[in-house]
Amino acid sequence: MKKKDEGKVDKVIDKLSESFEDNRLSTKKTDLLSYSHDYWPISLHWMLEDKFPSIPNAVVWPEDKEEVKEVVRWCYKGRVPLYPYGGGSGVLGATVPEKGGIIIDLKRMRSLQVDDQDLLVEADSGLNGYYLEDSLNEEGYTMGNIPQSLYPSTVGGWVGTKATGQFSTKYGGIEEMLKGIEVVVPPGKILNFKPHPRTSTGPDLRKLFVGAEGTMGIMTKGWFKIWPYPERRIKLSYASERLEDAVESVRKVMRRGAEPAVVRIYDEMETKRHFYDHEDIYGKIATVIIIEGDEKIAEVEREIVEEEFIGEYKGEGPVDHWLETRFNVKEASEFVPMGVVFDTIEVAVNWSNAEELYERVIESIKPIKGVLFASAHASHFYPQGICFYFTFAGTPPRKKDAESFYQQVWSEAMKAVIGSGGTISHHHGVGRQRKDWLEDELGGGLKMLKDIKEKIDKRDIMNPGNLGL
Amino acid sequence: MPGRWDWLKEELSGISMLTKLPTMTKFLKGKISGPDDMTKCSMCPNMCRHACPISIVDGKETTSPAGKSRVGMMIENEVLSLDRENLLPIHMCLSCGCCEIWCPFDFSVSDILRPVKTRAVEHNIVYEEFVELFDDLRENGTIYEEIEDQGDLPDDGDVLYLRGCEYREGDSEVIDRTMSVLKKVGTDPFVIYDEKCCGIPAYNTGNIGLFEDLIEDMAEKIRGSGADRVVTSCPSCAYAYKELYPEFDQNIDAEISHIVEFLEGKKLKFAPNKNTDRFTFHEPCKLVNGLGKKESMQDLLDRTGLELEKPRRNGDETFCCGSGGTTVSRLNEELSSEVARERLSELKSLSDEIITSCPTCKRTFEDNDEEVKVHDIAEIVDGLL
Ligand SMILES: Cc1cc2nc3c(=O)[nH]c(=O)nc-3n(C[C@H](O)[C@H](O)[C@H](O)COP(=O)(O)OP(=O)(O)OC[C@H]3O[C@@H](n4cnc5c(N)ncnc54)[C@H](O)[C@@H]3O)c2cc1C
Ligand code: SF4
Ligand code: SF4
Repeated sequence: MKKKDEGKVDKVIDKLSESFEDNRLSTKKTDLLSYSHDYWPISLHWMLEDKFPSIPNAVVWPEDKEEVKEVVRWCYKGRVPLYPYGGGSGVLGATVPEKGGIIIDLKRMRSLQVDDQDLLVEADSGLNGYYLEDSLNEEGYTMGNIPQSLYPSTVGGWVGTKATGQFSTKYGGIEEMLKGIEVVVPPGKILNFKPHPRTSTGPDLRKLFVGAEGTMGIMTKGWFKIWPYPERRIKLSYASERLEDAVESVRKVMRRGAEPAVVRIYDEMETKRHFYDHEDIYGKIATVIIIEGDEKIAEVEREIVEEEFIGEYKGEGPVDHWLETRFNVKEASEFVPMGVVFDTIEVAVNWSNAEELYERVIESIKPIKGVLFASAHASHFYPQGICFYFTFAGTPPRKKDAESFYQQVWSEAMKAVIGSGGTISHHHGVGRQRKDWLEDELGGGLKMLKDIKEKIDKRDIMNPGNLGL
Repeated sequence: MPGRWDWLKEELSGISMLTKLPTMTKFLKGKISGPDDMTKCSMCPNMCRHACPISIVDGKETTSPAGKSRVGMMIENEVLSLDRENLLPIHMCLSCGCCEIWCPFDFSVSDILRPVKTRAVEHNIVYEEFVELFDDLRENGTIYEEIEDQGDLPDDGDVLYLRGCEYREGDSEVIDRTMSVLKKVGTDPFVIYDEKCCGIPAYNTGNIGLFEDLIEDMAEKIRGSGADRVVTSCPSCAYAYKELYPEFDQNIDAEISHIVEFLEGKKLKFAPNKNTDRFTFHEPCKLVNGLGKKESMQDLLDRTGLELEKPRRNGDETFCCGSGGTTVSRLNEELSSEVARERLSELKSLSDEIITSCPTCKRTFEDNDEEVKVHDIAEIVDGLL
């Protein structure tokens, strides 16, 4: 940050210190370094190398919307960059304060209220994901948004990134759950889009903040649809000979209108990796399925799956194994400090191009020098298509640093996705990692997005640089 | 049955040895020996954040479980200097072990960070609040200024009841009721009048030297009492005697239990419940996570026949009262109170009558809310036996 800009930030921090006590506004080095990264592998790598290229000037923890408004107002006045922060579990650098400025962490805003009759939950943006889902379960409901990052992430981050959970094939992505939203936008205005079952009142402005990754404003609270806690859960698993068989089976299931909550199809390598102790599945294509909800509907859905599935039925065991291990996140901890580059890339594609996309992405990554493996599973399904979740690991070859090796893999994968008619992100978003491919994805739409952003945030304070905006 | 790494071997079978060896080595090293625990935890996306009372209430990355490890790592890597300000987030830990329950590596952040705290103490980088505590522990053998033992308790018998600093200082009623329970179950309880601190506050603050001195003294006293059974009111004391003393070569032959553990499996004949009040309960983290007694307190309460309301966070998902771990309540009273209020609001939505089995939890709840009535489990059991 330039000297002149430092002065502006200091003035804003001074102003904020009039209303925020010491423990809710910090310029301490421990705090600044703690907010210099999120879960973007590049930023984790920086941390391991003791490099801190993006450090904020301050961190603030508001407790209500008025305080959020105050922060936005002063930052806007002082032209100081402001980065909304939830759980920092985003994997694409969307909270990395690349231009310095202020991080606004929403986690101290965390109340929730359930409306039984309307089947809605009103949740503050900083509310922890597990806290929300567990509280709902306790009262006999579910929201059904269970990302693998349920434990560390927040409601605001879910909306910010347009997240989807493991149970999304039934419950949908966060955009389908979000019924109303309260946001603070520059220059410091609170907007409240109340929840309705549906509304036909011009373009849906609520959606402007879904997947905006903190570039349009700050969500302070949302209203989400909830469901009575499922009375029945059915667990099914299959081993198929070919990936195409499993994919085709699920396509037919979806086409018939059945909506299993969880469907996961693992390619051969991931089947071996995840189910190495299930001898009868090893080397095949494993699919795990969970159907849940109303007893009668669930039974009908089971029948549909059983009628359509091409593969050998393998019982509940593999599903239980998945349920037990689904939150075991260990890879980055074990391998990244040893110099292994490791990441995941999730994309979506219509059924007609599914096979081609899978093949092309794997084939584009594997030959890269240093790549150890590339594999995928399919994790979210629609009547129209499928989400593939690729995983790769490798070590940079001699004379190549980790960052450029990483970018090379990403670049090849993105090209393969676009070339086979897919979308470059299914649920992680864009952040600072995918921004260079956004134009290929949106075409002229990117200019429109930039115009909208400029209109809302003329001084470009909201998460500047994120999404390439 | 295929081996854990067969998939990788098969994947690499087509690649030349020269290419695959370095990668393979790094990969397997990550699995087998791997980085140190602090680095591993630093690289975790906070998969236990939801269970960490500090993280939920404080809402800061810096004091989240992985966040604390990151600060620790930065201190170890000399990105941050070893000073009071930088150490502060590390001390925002209740040693409750709530992280461990969810951790894929079974880490407890308080254990991971203890070496950093210890190094600080060795370099005399301590807070005023710690100096006071260390003085009290060293000079008086308790966390308080000298405790005057009151009452007229037997100093001979077959079960040694260690009352702990907290009850000795302020709650002779619970002491009497615990003695009564022990008698009703057919034992002959006694106390030692020069009982001292179990040492855990020194351990929590990283003063291992002081901890070793304290435990040597206390272990000697316990051994000297001749008891072959020891019962405590405080789960942290029981944890120290059972788990930490042997680790530091202070072995006590007597069987040690917290009162809840002691009553587990005992035949207890409870009077029919005439109490119309509804109770809720708070399971202390050191009982559940430290001593691994995940269901014992609930089982005991169920046997009493009382009308009980179960809090959302119970069993191994229990929440700290806010005063665990010694450091938070001394360095950041407000945060400690916030944790207490978070827990109290959950409990109070069920009942104002709270049963717990830890002197620190009891005192913390009473200090933070005048409306609630907090009972030690011994009081409840004694009333119904
Ligand atoms: C182990 C692991 C597993 C994951 N699994 C999934 C998964 O299954 N599904 C999935 O979708 N994602 C997954 N993710 C990615 C990530 O968890 C999600 O993107 C999540 O939604 C991010 O939430 P967060 O609270 O951590 O947000 P952050 O990372 O803090 O922020 C993400 C973005 O949202 C913005 N933001 C945060 N709060 C607000 C707010 N109140 N107002 C406006 N903008 C805001 C930020 O500025 C940033 O741009 C996973 C990540 C990890 C590390
Ligand atoms: S021991 Fe308790 S307070 Fe400390 S990090 Fe773990 S869960 Fe949080
Ligand atoms: S204690 Fe375990 S789960 Fe918690 S942050 Fe550390 S590594 Fe992750």
